[in-house]
Amino acid sequence: MEPLELLEPDPIADLAREAFQEEFQGGCYSGRFHEDNWEEEFEKIPLFMKKAPSEIDPMKNPDLACLQSIIFDDERSPEEQAKMYKNEGNDYFKEKDYKKAVTSYTEGLKRKCADPDLNAVLHTNRAAAQYYMGNFRSALNDAMAARKRKPWHLKAIVRGALCHLELKNYTEAVNWCDDGLQIDAKEKILLEVRAKADKLKRTEQRDMRKAKLKEKKEQNENEALLQAIKARNVRLVFEPASEEEESASAGLCKLLDGLNLQNPYGAKPSMDDQGRLSWPVLFLYPEYAQSDFIAAFHEDSRFIDHLVEMFDELPPWDLERKYYADNLEVYFEDEEREELYQVPPKSTLRQVLQHPRCFVKDLTPSFLVCVESSVFSRRYFGARNVQ
Amino acid sequence: MPRASVWPRLRMLVPPPAPSPQTRIGLCGFRLFGGRGRRPPVATARSGGTLAELPGVCEVRAGMEKAAADTGSSTGGGGPAGLQTLEVEVAKLLPFLAPGARADLQEEAARHVLALTGSGPGRTLLASQEALLRALVDLAAAPAPAPARDAARALVNLAADPCLHEPLLVAEPGLPARLLGRALDPQWPWAEEAAAVLANLSREPAPCASLMEALTAAEPGESGLERLVRALCTPGYNARAPLHYLGPVLSNLSQRPAARAFLLDPDRCVIQRLLPLTQYPDSTVRRGGVVGTLRNCCFEHRHHEWLLGPKVDILPFLLLPLAGPEEFSEEEMERLPVDLQYLPPDKQREPDADIRKMLIEAIMLLTATAQGRQQVRDQGAYLILRELHSWEPESDVRVTCEKLIQVLIGDEPEHGMENLLEVQVPEDVECQLQRLDRQEQEQCQREQQEWELAPEPQAEGDAPT
Repeated sequence: MEPLELLEPDPIADLAREAFQEEFQGGCYSGRFHEDNWEEEFEKIPLFMKKAPSEIDPMKNPDLACLQSIIFDDERSPEEQAKMYKNEGNDYFKEKDYKKAVTSYTEGLKRKCADPDLNAVLHTNRAAAQYYMGNFRSALNDAMAARKRKPWHLKAIVRGALCHLELKNYTEAVNWCDDGLQIDAKEKILLEVRAKADKLKRTEQRDMRKAKLKEKKEQNENEALLQAIKARNVRLVFEPASEEEESASAGLCKLLDGLNLQNPYGAKPSMDDQGRLSWPVLFLYPEYAQSDFIAAFHEDSRFIDHLVEMFDELPPWDLERKYYADNLEVYFEDEEREELYQVPPKSTLRQVLQHPRCFVKDLTPSFLVCVESSVFSRRYFGARNVQ
Repeated sequence: MPRASVWPRLRMLVPPPAPSPQTRIGLCGFRLFGGRGRRPPVATARSGGTLAELPGVCEVRAGMEKAAADTGSSTGGGGPAGLQTLEVEVAKLLPFLAPGARADLQEEAARHVLALTGSGPGRTLLASQEALLRALVDLAAAPAPAPARDAARALVNLAADPCLHEPLLVAEPGLPARLLGRALDPQWPWAEEAAAVLANLSREPAPCASLMEALTAAEPGESGLERLVRALCTPGYNARAPLHYLGPVLSNLSQRPAARAFLLDPDRCVIQRLLPLTQYPDSTVRRGGVVGTLRNCCFEHRHHEWLLGPKVDILPFLLLPLAGPEEFSEEEMERLPVDLQYLPPDKQREPDADIRKMLIEAIMLLTATAQGRQQVRDQGAYLILRELHSWEPESDVRVTCEKLIQVLIGDEPEHGMENLLEVQVPEDVECQLQRLDRQEQEQCQREQQEWELAPEPQAEGDAPT
C-alpha cells in the first residue's frame, strides 16, 4: 500500500472555493427572517403557528389557505370530511370557542355521511357546545337526534339529561337518567343529575300545593266577605252597570279578583276576627278637586272621628284655612237620581251604607266633603238636590 | 333480624265447581269435580266423543271416587291402604299432564290438580308424586295453548306449604331459576303467578338461597337483582301482568345480606327507585313488599347516614304514608320535609295496619344511632307521629308509635350505648324485657277482644215528629 498522496495545493480550485464562500459571507439569503419582526414572520408559517387565524386570507397566508383546501377538499369521502369537521369542532371546543365549534359540527353533519356513529358523535358534541352557550333547547334537540341515530349512546343521554334539568323538565330528566343508568349503572353524572332532578321535582310539587292552598284560602275569604256584605244589605254597583242582581255574587267574585288591577289603591273590604268589616273609603273635596283615601274605615267607627284625625293638621291645599273637622259636612251622591244626601258626622259608616239610596261603587264608598256654609258649598249645592 | 314478608301465605282460590249432582266430598277432604258440563267435541284423529266419555279421565275420576269411598270411617283420615290407592289414582293423571298430551285433556287434568292443591291432604298427596310435580312445573312454563295458568296456580298453592318446598325442589332443582325467567319475561302472560310462587317459596331460607343463586348466576353484564328491581319499578314492564308479587319477592330476598348490599350500593341508584312505590295506590301487595324491603334495609346501620342524607332522603318517603290531611302552622310546616308540606285536605293515610307498623319499625331502626336520631328529629318526624297517634285505630300500631315517639322525645342514652343495635343486653334484662313484651301483647289482645265483644250502643229511637 502506498501512502496517501498529499494533494498538491491547487490554486485555481482554492480561488473558486474562496469565491463561493464569499458569496455566503457577504449577502443575506433571500427569504430569510428580518431581524426586527422575525417573530411575526415565524407565526405566519403554518407549522409554527400557535393560533390559527380566524379568517384565512389567501393573500396573506397562502400556505395556510393551501393546506385548508387540501383538508376540505370536496373530492374526499363524506366520512373523511365529516371526521375532519368533527376534529375541527373538537379543537374549537377545547379552546372554548363554542360558536365556531357549532359551525364546524354543523358542517360535518351537512355532509350526511352514512356512518351513524359519526353522526351521533357530531350531534352529541354539538349538543355539548350548545349547552355551554346556554342554548339548552337546541342542545336537547341535538341530544335527541344523537339518540335516534344511536339509542344507547351514553354521552348523548348524559347531555340530554343535563338539558332537561336546565329546562326544568324534571320528570324527563329522571327518565333519561334511568335509561342511562341501565347502560352504566354507576355513571356519576347521571346519579347526581337524577338526585337533583328528583329533589327539584318534589320541591316544585310542594310549591304547587302551597299555591293551591293559598288560592283556596283566598277564595274562602272572599266568600266570607261576600256573605258579610250581603248580610248587611249593602247595595253594590259595578261597571258595567248592566249587571243583574242574580249574578251579583259572581260579578262580585270577579270584581274581588280583579280589584287589585282595577282599584289603583289596591284595597278591598276586609273582615276582622269578630266579623266586622272595614271598607276602603274615598273622601272627595270638590272645592279643590282633592281627595283622601282611607284604606280601612271600620264600619263601626264614626265619620267625625275620622275627620278629626284627618284634619288635625290643615291640608296643604286648604288655601283659606277653613277645613276644620267641626266645620265639615259630609254628603254622598245618589247617581241614579242625581241627588245628594247629607251624612250626620256622628253616624257610623255602617249606618250610612244601609241607607236605601246609598250605592257603593267598585266596593269603595265615596263621600263629598265641604265646609259648612261656605261660598263654594252654597254654590255647589245650590244647584243640586240635597236631601 | 330482617324478617320475611309478613304476608299470609298465598293461596289461589280454587275455582268453585259448577253445581253438579255428581260432586262428592271425598272423606279425605277431596273435592272431586263431577262432570262440569259437556264440552263440544274436539275434532281429533281419534274417535270424537265428549270429554266425560273419554276413557282415561273418566277412569281416574272413578278410581279416585272409589278410593275415597273405600277409605271408610267418617272420622276421616284414610287408612294407609286407602291412601296408597289414592296415590296410584293420582299418578294416573301424569300422562295427561305430559307436554305432548291433548290440550283439552291437559286443561282438565291441570284443573284437577289445582283442585287438589286447595286442601292440605291434597297437597301432601301430591308431594309424594315427584314425576307429577315435574310435569306440573313443565306445564307451568309451557307456551300457549297449554294450561300454564292453572298449572302455575297449582304451584302457588303447593309452594304456600313450607313442607312442600323440599319435594318441589327435589323434583325440579332448577325451579327458582325457571320461575324467575318466566316472571321477568316481559311477554309472559302468567308472570304474576310465577312471581307469586317465588314469593311463597322465598319465605323459607333454603329456597331463598337457591333463588339468590339463580339471580346472581343470571346473564352476565346485568345483575338479576337489577332486572328484578327494574321489572318492579317500570310501569308497564309486562303489558299482560301487573307483577305486584315481585314486591314480596324482593322483600324476602332482602333478608339476605348480599341482596341488601346490592340495594344499598351507594354507587348505584337502586333503593332510590323503590322509594316512590311506598305510595303506590293500586296494590297493597306491592306496597307491602316495598315497605318490607325498606325496613329490612334499615337494619344496616352503617348505611343510615347515607339513607337519611340528601342522596337517598328515605325519611320523607317513610313518613308520607303515615301523614294525614292535618293543617300545621306556618312555623311547623317549614320544619317538615318538602314532601310533607301543604298536603291536600283529601290526603289519606296508609289503609293497611301491617304496612303502617312496618313503616314505624323502619323509622325506629333509623333512630338506632345518635346521629340518626338527630336527623330524624330535625326532619320533623315527631309532628307526623303525634298526629298519627291521635288518629290510629289499631292498638298494636299505636303502641309501636308510642315507643318511637318516646325515643324521639326522650333523653339520649348513656355513653357507650349510642348505637342501640350494637348494645349487648344482659340476660336477666333480656328476660325481663321479653316478659314485658308478652304482657303488653296480652294487654293488646284483651283490649281487642273487649272492643269486639262490647255490645252495640242502643240506637236512640227516632223522636216522633
